[in-house]
Amino acid sequence: MNALRTTALGTLGIALFLLAWEVVGRSGLLGISWPALSDVLAMLLDPARLPMFRRALGATLESTAWGYLWGAGVGLVLAAATHLLPPLRPGADRLAAVVNSVPSIALGPIFLVLLSREATPAAVSSIHVFFIVFVSVSSGLQRASMAHRDLFSALGAGRTVRLARLELPAALPALASGLRLAWPAALIGAIIGEWFGAPRGIGILIINAMQNFQIVLLWCAVLLAVASSLFFYGLLTLIERAAYARFG
Amino acid sequence: MPAKRPLLLRLVEDYWGILLLLLAWQAWVVINRFNPIVMPTPVAVLGDLARHPDVYLGNVGITLAVALFGLVAGMLVGTALAIAAWFSPVASGMLNPLTVLFSSVPVVALIPVIARLLGYDTSTVLAIVTIITFFPSFVFASSGLRSLPPGSEDLLRVLGASRLHLLLRLALPAAMPNLAIAFKLAAAHAILAAMIAEFLMGTTGLGYLFAKTKSDFNTEQAFGASAVATVISAAAFLGAGWVERRVRERYT
Repeated sequence: MNALRTTALGTLGIALFLLAWEVVGRSGLLGISWPALSDVLAMLLDPARLPMFRRALGATLESTAWGYLWGAGVGLVLAAATHLLPPLRPGADRLAAVVNSVPSIALGPIFLVLLSREATPAAVSSIHVFFIVFVSVSSGLQRASMAHRDLFSALGAGRTVRLARLELPAALPALASGLRLAWPAALIGAIIGEWFGAPRGIGILIINAMQNFQIVLLWCAVLLAVASSLFFYGLLTLIERAAYARFG
Repeated sequence: MPAKRPLLLRLVEDYWGILLLLLAWQAWVVINRFNPIVMPTPVAVLGDLARHPDVYLGNVGITLAVALFGLVAGMLVGTALAIAAWFSPVASGMLNPLTVLFSSVPVVALIPVIARLLGYDTSTVLAIVTIITFFPSFVFASSGLRSLPPGSEDLLRVLGASRLHLLLRLALPAAMPNLAIAFKLAAAHAILAAMIAEFLMGTTGLGYLFAKTKSDFNTEQAFGASAVATVISAAAFLGAGWVERRVRERYT
């Protein structure tokens, strides 16, 4: 009964939000900058524009995926390395904090010179992911209980074996949480990276629509970004639940 | 208590990563003989910082003020709405899934839309920082208000406490650690969000300085602006972490 009530109220809330969006747009309450939901959906589903949206979303998702994999890989490796070599830890923590504090708009020009126009979105995206994964794995690696650690040492396991057999499995739930939070951050990184001359993508669509006052197109691009972010976020939430159920 | 490490060793241990990064950057630029317009060395950027402190200081002040006001406004609105929702189970039931949806939204993608709605000036930057800090505040405050120690609510009810008493004496103190986490997440974000907003449509601030100097091919100053923003937001992150630890110790 309680679950039914929660679902009903939640659905009602979302429905009211969408209705308000439509009504505000139809009535022109906030001027032409707020189009009705139906207008945005009509353009989004317009068959003539479908190839353009598909190309843009495909390019952005590709960059996001590469950035996600690179960032998660480097974050994971650096967290494991500092775990094996504790003297490196404070320096690595500060490096990660500073790298994460560099404004994304400043990362764009750097990667533009270091890599290429095409690789910049993925590179900016990987920096965002790196920090989240590094922080969550670093704290996750310390979750294994002292008693388990002592047992491994008493049985003659070295640091590497202990990491692989005990501490990494114990860190999997934290890794899964980090990976879930990292997806929207990765997408933001890819979109900002695209502002620095990428050939195509959602970020290009957003910036062009904004500069040319194509309001409905702007909302379409933003809606696409949000919807794809929610889709992957939901997917990663399921993986996170599975990780907690098995290793939590 | 371990013996105090020598200063040099401590510096290397704590900052090896950053030092290595700066050295690699310097070497990369020197070896490739990049024109300073394409990529300046860290030494050149530092030089520009030392030569034009007035340019930087004015813009730092503006960006800091906007980020700070936005942060405070966003946290106040978020907490106030969370409290309002706490009084009404129906409202909180309706708002809950929406906030979960919004907290997983790439908010930066919304900046151009908000800019179109509110116009292109500093007050829009303020609104954007407010909106971006609002979401974590609301989400964390809502869950904090509901994570009461088991049995405590019943005890206060039995003792005849009103709903307002419950809020002031029990729920708000219980929500403090969560609010502190929201503050930590939002503090570093506030400055970076202000930067991006200023970059896209501002007329003042560090983000605007970056956009303007970059299009004037004054790359040294563009990187100077980024370096200053990096230091400020790292400091905000560390400072907010300190506040969060203090609050957690006090309220748990």
